Amino acid sequence: MSKKGVEAALGRGVDILNEFLPLKSWLFFPILYSACVWAVRRVFDYRERILAWQVWLDPEFVRIKPDDFVLHFFATHEALGREYADELAAHDLRVLRAAFPALYPLFGFEDAFLKALFKAEIESADYRGIVVEFASRTGKARDDIQPAAANPDFWKALELIGMEAASLGLHLLKDDDVQNMIIALVKEPAGARSAIPPDA
Amino acid sequence: MKRRFFPAAALVLALSLSFSCLAHLRKAKQYYAEAQDHARAFRTEPAVASWKKALEEADRECRRKPSAQAFTIKGLAETNLGRWRDAEASFLKAFSLGFDEGEAWAADTALVGLAASFEELGLEAPALRIYGQLVDKSDFKPALMTAAEKRTNLVLARAVGLDAEEKARTLAGLNKALDRLLDRDYACGLYHYLHAQVDGHLGDLRRSYEEAVMARELGLPWEKILRDNDNQLVYCYVKLKEALPAGEGEAFAAAHAGWTKKWGWRDDRTPAWKKE
Repeated sequence: MSKKGVEAALGRGVDILNEFLPLKSWLFFPILYSACVWAVRRVFDYRERILAWQVWLDPEFVRIKPDDFVLHFFATHEALGREYADELAAHDLRVLRAAFPALYPLFGFEDAFLKALFKAEIESADYRGIVVEFASRTGKARDDIQPAAANPDFWKALELIGMEAASLGLHLLKDDDVQNMIIALVKEPAGARSAIPPDA
Repeated sequence: MKRRFFPAAALVLALSLSFSCLAHLRKAKQYYAEAQDHARAFRTEPAVASWKKALEEADRECRRKPSAQAFTIKGLAETNLGRWRDAEASFLKAFSLGFDEGEAWAADTALVGLAASFEELGLEAPALRIYGQLVDKSDFKPALMTAAEKRTNLVLARAVGLDAEEKARTLAGLNKALDRLLDRDYACGLYHYLHAQVDGHLGDLRRSYEEAVMARELGLPWEKILRDNDNQLVYCYVKLKEALPAGEGEAFAAAHAGWTKKWGWRDDRTPAWKKE
């Protein structure tokens, strides 16, 4: 396994995203992280997998869940159970139902892209912040990713990056390490990265 | 020399034209079959691409050599792409060219399109009536499945605001309609999934669990529904295990472990797709 090799491959991924999504660097982490998740699983239908989160946003789908299912969802998720302990104790379904359409796609379906999109809030356990931000951020993500998503070259490039990182031992790295690696690369100025693979 | 050449050339031309016509129809069928395979494996994007290709080939075939078969494939591809109005026209053409069921399929696709338009305009009551009509009468599976899902979701959404007695009556009626669908097609995973959802609302978790297991086993048309069905399974499992007496609870847990092992879950509460 070559950690530097993986890092270099992901760095090239950031460069590619910069070309396809100029000035949209806030989307790089969720896209590249999702690509890594699917590369590790050897599932390479990136376009379908990375855009899957858009399907979870169907309001009809979440508004019909029974109250008890909603309560169970919050009660059985450790962190959400802690955050919404008061509402759970009081059976405050008004608040829980309002939060459910944002939190069920994230933690019920475990979507990699959405989790990366709200990484900061998840890490700081700001679940109420996710609820407030959810509609606007996912709407913006949908709008911003649209031009690149329509370009087959974008998905081909992403697949090559994922496959390269996977071949270099991406699967041997811890999930947190991969996330931190991508975040560091996204924050790094574009010119500071070597364009040449380390093993070349 | 020329005289001998012309019949041969005409024959070659006729053969090549008929082969090219045949090729369009064959390609349309091939793409349609590919799309169905993709859809079954939840690969929506390639499925849509294959339906579009099937539609293009069927359209070419319809222009060159109109036939009931070509218009039927065109209509089916349009149905899967949600182009209900176009599908109606294609099925009517197929009917006029000898496909007997085309007229009924055209009527059903027209109704789905109309109900969807009502829904988009926020007119849920007429949409609900049309979906109800389709659920009771339609024999065209794509229209039937769409109507069953839409109707169930609309009724469940309405039931949220009802008092307990009326809600129970409404949901019992909904389940009767789903039972009738299952009588007609017991192997349709979507109907079992919808039944499991309604049973969950009624608090009949044992039946909900059983229906969700059947849905899982028979297959579901979209990954979104598959994941939701898995969450329903976990929800029912946890609740039932808590409620059952010790011995019965252990037997239930053992049976559940058997299913989850078969489905490749990580443990009794973690489907394989979790922790991406």
